[in-house]
Amino acid sequence: MESAAATRNCSMKVIPSIAFGEFSGTAGDVTARTIGGQTILNHKAYQAKTKTPSQASSRNTLSKVSRAYKQLTDSQMKAWGALAEHLKGISTFGKAAEMTAHNAFVRINANRQMVGMSLLEDAPEYKNDIPEVDWDEIWVTPKRVLLTGIVNPTGTYKLVVKMSAGQGVGVSSGWSKTVIITPGMADNWGDAALTQLYTKKIGFMPAVGDKVFIELYWLEPSTGFVGETMRTTRFCISEEQAHEEGFEERVEYTLDNVSPESHVSKLDVDFTTGAPAISFDTVCLGHSNVASSEVYPEDGIPISMEGSCYVLGRGAGEGKISAQSYQVQFFSSYDPRIVFAHRGGDYIKPSEVFGAGPYYK
Amino acid sequence: MFNSISNNFGAGTIQFKDYQEENYVVLNAKFTYNTTSPEYQAADVLEIKVPDLMIDRSADTGVFARFVDRQVRPTYTMNYDSGTVIRSWIKDKNTICLEKFAPLECAEEIIVYIQAMYVGKHKDSTASKISKTYATFTQPTKYLYTSDVICVIHEHWVFFHCTFSSVSYAYRDLPWEATIQGLPTDFALDIPFPGGYCQGHDNMDGLSEAHIENGVFTNEERVSGWGSTGYTPFLFFVAVRDTE
Repeated sequence: MESAAATRNCSMKVIPSIAFGEFSGTAGDVTARTIGGQTILNHKAYQAKTKTPSQASSRNTLSKVSRAYKQLTDSQMKAWGALAEHLKGISTFGKAAEMTAHNAFVRINANRQMVGMSLLEDAPEYKNDIPEVDWDEIWVTPKRVLLTGIVNPTGTYKLVVKMSAGQGVGVSSGWSKTVIITPGMADNWGDAALTQLYTKKIGFMPAVGDKVFIELYWLEPSTGFVGETMRTTRFCISEEQAHEEGFEERVEYTLDNVSPESHVSKLDVDFTTGAPAISFDTVCLGHSNVASSEVYPEDGIPISMEGSCYVLGRGAGEGKISAQSYQVQFFSSYDPRIVFAHRGGDYIKPSEVFGAGPYYK
Repeated sequence: MFNSISNNFGAGTIQFKDYQEENYVVLNAKFTYNTTSPEYQAADVLEIKVPDLMIDRSADTGVFARFVDRQVRPTYTMNYDSGTVIRSWIKDKNTICLEKFAPLECAEEIIVYIQAMYVGKHKDSTASKISKTYATFTQPTKYLYTSDVICVIHEHWVFFHCTFSSVSYAYRDLPWEATIQGLPTDFALDIPFPGGYCQGHDNMDGLSEAHIENGVFTNEERVSGWGSTGYTPFLFFVAVRDTE
């Protein structure tokens, strides 16, 4: 929604009415109109010709949602109008605004579509109970963007995060430069690892000393309502400084901290169980002609973590869903890697490998 | 040991054998549900309400779900018992969840075997390691050949895994029995026994049932395609021991 507005080139200048008393209309690239006794000259507004893929996708979504409004019955439109009355002037969408039935329909459904939900034809019952995002810390280093200690009050809310690229220290307001990093992610046990999403959207990580503008809010997928936007900034600090300031790296392997050459499309290997077991939730793709998949952690594996687990698997995708067992081995020396070695059942590529595996040496 | 309070899929009362600590829970239960029941059909997730557990949330773990399918021919009966692994997790301290897995709806009665450990994530301490021990299948006349036999023994539970590499031809269709030396003898469980091609359900493969009691493994019969190459049969369970 905001990206569409941001693509309009518009510079306005208020000038004394005495000079252009009754002037109105368009001449060349200039349009004049009279408001409140003053004539305002605008550069003619053009929609930017260039579009990023995400802008194109966003415009398509908005356009489809907008068209769908015309298919509603009169009573449905009336209900959306009533909802709009509630929403009018409330900064539920991050900024106070006038609201029509059409606006409410488009905004609620655009929010829902961001998280893959279908179009809502009937207006949801208005509730203003979505809280602000509560978190412990946001770590921004040249290597990671990570939110920790997020409290998801219902477990159903999705987190929307908007961030800017690294800005100069002197930039006091970079809110117009924020883009949606994630349109609605579930927190991972209180953490939101955004490194991959950030580099995918922004293209590069911030440098030490850069200022990053961050906006956060919860989205309730079932209604499309969102909570109050929390705005904060962080200076990018070095990994060393982050550790000095209390950052403790979890022993957890996700797609965020392993090589893209790894043979998995989903990865969550979590050592922080406080139990004699490791938690796995992985999709193994296999490699070569060997019945195993390998994962290459970027920072290796501590020698103290060497060991093995057995865990269950199930064929994934379109094909077979056979039960399988996998031995997961953690190697720290020479060629640090995690190996998901197929052991029991019919070997299927790809396979989900999940569960708590007792951890032994 | 505790009984379920209720469930939303028409399974009746479920008895759990449990071992619980601050950061993890080991559960054993065997029960059935009917995929044609209105309760099952109305549920999105299968939820079992239970008395307070020691953890209030867990990551997904794997449990087995199987069904019995025998097809009688004029001179023989085909064993097409099948099934697979489904996800299970603790949603809150009073709710154990099971994935409603549509491919299993090809059968009416589903048998669930919960023999699993449930753990949380992002705790203050990392996983601790336990020593493994070796166990061996012993028989007066050796006919079962195994590999990847791993036994992890805790004071209150035991994890066991093995694969079956072959069986002597003469014993292929007979009931099996073997003592598993090294396996604690203080638990009894019906255990799922996956392996073998299943012509009747070729998307899931065979899934039979075996039994372990007093350290002795027994298995009456297996799926008709049990010996198929590449469908390595295996055992995988976490059992709560009778140590109290």
